[in-house]
Amino acid sequence: MTEIDPDEYEGVWVFVEEHAGEVMPVSWELLAEGRKLTETTGQELVALVIGEDCEAVAEAALAHGADRVLVADDPVFEPYRADPYGAQFRAMVEERKPSIVLIGGTHTGRDFAGRVAVPTHAGLTADVTEIDVDEAGILQARRPAFGGDVLATILCEDHRPQMATIRPGVFEAAEPDPDRTGEVERVEVVVAEDETMSEVLERVVGDRADITEAERIVAVGAGVEGDLEPARALAAALDADLAATRAAVDEGWIDGSRQVGQTGKTVRPELYVAVGVSGAIQHVEGMNKSGVVLAINTDPNAPIFEHADYGIVGDHAEVCHELADRLSGETPELIA
Amino acid sequence: MHDFTVVVGVKQVPDADEVGLDPDTGRLDRASAPAVMNPPDRCALEAALSLKDAHAARVIAVTMGPPMATPVLREAVAMGCDDGVLITDRAFAGSDTWPTSLTLARVAEHLDADVVLCGEETTDSSTGQVPPGIAAHNGWAQLTYVEALDLRPEEGRVVAHRDVEGGYEVVAADLPVVVAVAFGSFEPRPAGLHRKLFAETEFDPRELSAADLGIEEEVGLAVSPTSVGGMETVQPVDRQGEVVDEVDDLLGPIREAVA
Repeated sequence: MTEIDPDEYEGVWVFVEEHAGEVMPVSWELLAEGRKLTETTGQELVALVIGEDCEAVAEAALAHGADRVLVADDPVFEPYRADPYGAQFRAMVEERKPSIVLIGGTHTGRDFAGRVAVPTHAGLTADVTEIDVDEAGILQARRPAFGGDVLATILCEDHRPQMATIRPGVFEAAEPDPDRTGEVERVEVVVAEDETMSEVLERVVGDRADITEAERIVAVGAGVEGDLEPARALAAALDADLAATRAAVDEGWIDGSRQVGQTGKTVRPELYVAVGVSGAIQHVEGMNKSGVVLAINTDPNAPIFEHADYGIVGDHAEVCHELADRLSGETPELIA
Repeated sequence: MHDFTVVVGVKQVPDADEVGLDPDTGRLDRASAPAVMNPPDRCALEAALSLKDAHAARVIAVTMGPPMATPVLREAVAMGCDDGVLITDRAFAGSDTWPTSLTLARVAEHLDADVVLCGEETTDSSTGQVPPGIAAHNGWAQLTYVEALDLRPEEGRVVAHRDVEGGYEVVAADLPVVVAVAFGSFEPRPAGLHRKLFAETEFDPRELSAADLGIEEEVGLAVSPTSVGGMETVQPVDRQGEVVDEVDDLLGPIREAVA
């Protein structure tokens, strides 16, 4: 049994997820939100950067709000692997005792969080969409439960650190301030390549769309039955980004980086057009901060119509093409 | 003679499609929903059975739960698993992902697993934390969001395609390894008739308790770091819900939204 004194733990850490120097935007969202927590607790906001040649990432973390950046810089950390990252994180937590650790809910973030929470006997809450901290420093991590109809508050009172993975897009990043100063501290690397248990043979990353910033979105669901052309045409006419439900992603029609909803991303565009989307609560929960929601579906009883401002019952291909035709002439003025 | 042992974790969950609202309280009524196998676990079973197709592997399904969770083991055996183990004990009550993954880690050791396969996450808790937790408890390699899996006995490792944001990576990991398969990959095979009959009529799961695993003091509510502090019903966002007849009727709202 792990008995610890929570009072020995302080500060908010944010895991800055980077791949070959490219930072996942959720990391900056978490620094902005972590800043709010440290304003309540009066403690330090620390960015954790693990990778190779991370000076630029460390500087960017300061600009995005960190008071201090801890850098574990070594070839063993590039590309990401759970086992060396996990061993390094454990050593740093044991030495420095952070109270709260925030991690982006990407595939890498969830892979990392699940591993590192165990050896430190930390409390880990997944897919959090709201966070707060009370005067005693207890993190209130709220997450959708039962498919999104309920928001559950998860606490971790007797263990540290209090960890959470946070869905990309729910918080807004701060504008980077290049004049911000802080300490960049290189930490001792405790992992050697010959101790690792895994090897990345190949890494192919192409379409890593950031739909969380999109002003207009056309989202496809299972109802399009693999025919994305009409939705693409509408997206082009609206100058919108394409997004999808989990069902469409699982079918392989579109990349997972464009998934909206639980286990995907939260978006808040001014216009959200749901094409062949049934309206499962898990999806709706990721898009209900949108300005105006339009729904196109063949099924008049589809739940999406209850979550839309305007809906039309009809074939997605016909409706999308007709809308695209009507709008394509006026797109420039729409943008202006 | 089996060269490899593959352990598959499966879980019984309320059927997400059948969870209704309690008409009196307006709250979700999970108790009345029928219990089914967590759908992502079916993909994990398929991944395990395809390893068995290619190698001399023994596949054992394990589940944590009360005896009434046994049907998910029968289903796994009907699909082609060689055995099923029910991990059942009152001591497990109130376990969050930390003791749950500890228990499964000890089971994996107990069964001498070379590969542990799990679904991506459960539909009732959707944390996805248990597979990395199992790997961490045992100090084993882990691979999550796996879309394709190849066992390389001569190298003593597996090679997997992992789904990552915007692409994929190919990763090799030493045995023993914990693999969480991406939901939607590995189309589950139907149960064969003969095997189904066996599962229904002859199969009885082995049972393991916390004491059998030597972890009576390390499971349950007391060692779970997290607790539920409260639940609030989410108020639906108020939408106009206006269904129009003509495509042209949508143009006004679109123009207004993007103005």
